[in-house]
Amino acid sequence: MIDLFLDILGTTGKKFINFVVNIGHFFIFFGNAIYWVFKPPWYFKKIFQQILDIGYFSLPVVGLTTFFSGMVLALQTYNGFTDFNSESTVARIVLTSITRELGPVLTGLMVAGRIGAKMAAEIATMRVTEQIDALGTLGTRPMQYLIAPKIIASLVCIPLLVLIGNTIGILGGYVIAIYKIGFNASLYLNATMEYLQLIDIIQGTVKAGVFGLIISMVSCYFGYNASKGAEGVGFATTSSVVVSSVMILTSTYIITALFFG
Amino acid sequence: MEKKNNKKVIIKVSNLSKSFNNNIVLKNINFQLLEGESLAIIGASGSGKSVLLKNIIGILQPDKGSIIINDKEMVNLPRSLKEKLLLDLGITFQHGALFDSLKNWENIIFKTANKDKTNNRQGKQLAFSIIKQLGLQPEILDLYPSEISGGMQKRVAIARAICGNPKILLFDEPTSGLDPVTGSLIDQLIKKAVRTVGGSAITITHDMASVCRIADKVILIDKQTISWTGTPKEMFVSSNTKIQEFIKPINSEIFFK
Repeated sequence: MIDLFLDILGTTGKKFINFVVNIGHFFIFFGNAIYWVFKPPWYFKKIFQQILDIGYFSLPVVGLTTFFSGMVLALQTYNGFTDFNSESTVARIVLTSITRELGPVLTGLMVAGRIGAKMAAEIATMRVTEQIDALGTLGTRPMQYLIAPKIIASLVCIPLLVLIGNTIGILGGYVIAIYKIGFNASLYLNATMEYLQLIDIIQGTVKAGVFGLIISMVSCYFGYNASKGAEGVGFATTSSVVVSSVMILTSTYIITALFFG
Repeated sequence: MEKKNNKKVIIKVSNLSKSFNNNIVLKNINFQLLEGESLAIIGASGSGKSVLLKNIIGILQPDKGSIIINDKEMVNLPRSLKEKLLLDLGITFQHGALFDSLKNWENIIFKTANKDKTNNRQGKQLAFSIIKQLGLQPEILDLYPSEISGGMQKRVAIARAICGNPKILLFDEPTSGLDPVTGSLIDQLIKKAVRTVGGSAITITHDMASVCRIADKVILIDKQTISWTGTPKEMFVSSNTKIQEFIKPINSEIFFK
């Protein structure tokens, strides 16, 4: 009985120590990556490729997600508030929910799934096929060549994607409000503009920047430290998406609390 | 610079040991690579040959021992100086390690392009001049590594290693997976690189025919340590049982006649 207890205690302790070690490794990686973001020379071609990949090619999925979310939000809000004769609040609720929360979070989750997984898989494959080792022997620093462009591109693109996603989401709400519910278009637009506040846009953009950092850092970290061949690539990919998503949902609460808490 | 028999010592490995999780892979490895010398390292699969190479180029850190390249101690050398030192080396990895996202010509000139900022036309020309020697067609230059065969990938990796005429060449199984004709071509190229550029080479290989063609000196790694050193000719008169196992499958007459 005591042996079993000691076994469980030992295994738990080992896992806890591993967890703490990994957290430490992550922060060392984080600091190192930030250093290389600011250290010239910058690989502009790689940064541009990443901007295309993260920004331009994520537009359809971000656009569709936020458009339908705006539509659902308008419909649900109207159904919920119609009993209280509060149809006019639809514009305000769609606007606030999209700009403060749904726009950044949905964009973050979509990009984590699409780009985070891709980053982790790409870097992990390079790790297990010795391409990262080869880079180091060819006068190129892997952190500067591989990781820094991804972080820079994420920090540039995700806030822009969020701004575009917010606009499309509000448009989704407008389409439902006008063409399905039958609101007056100019009244709805006026209500939207009236409730549009700079603080909401700032908050959404701050969240987007933090999410960009989370997605790129977590994905690159898992990819860069991959091992054990194909299994390691799979593990890095899954872990990057799961950890990024959890961190996005955690950090959105923290940022909201900081802004409005 | 340290000299031996009036030749410069290019790489000197002393008392190198390496283990992974208490599993000892290399123990007290000592050898020297002289200027203009071609050294072959042989040994059974899993004997630690690639681990030795990775220690030399700084990808792995030895548990103890010293690695001196061109009079500079590699172990604990600051990263920036280590990277500078590595620029003088041409290295091929066991599985090629070509960059998937770059075209073959971009792979070949990667180091030179970073150093000299060559434009696309110059880069392609340089890559073409190298692949010609390796029996590759110019059409492969604009393809990605995944679009060519494994043997071709191996040759592109060798082209990347010899691009810029580095004075020290390190090859990890350069002829494995190649047909005998291409393998012989690669051997000639390694020999040529050592003779004409005045370079030095370390080649890890299982291919004993290749050893006979390219090596001035052979090292056998067995049971974590160097168990035999000699010339290719001496292999055939050696009483070392492991060496005998290695040369049994080949007919020495073919290579030394």
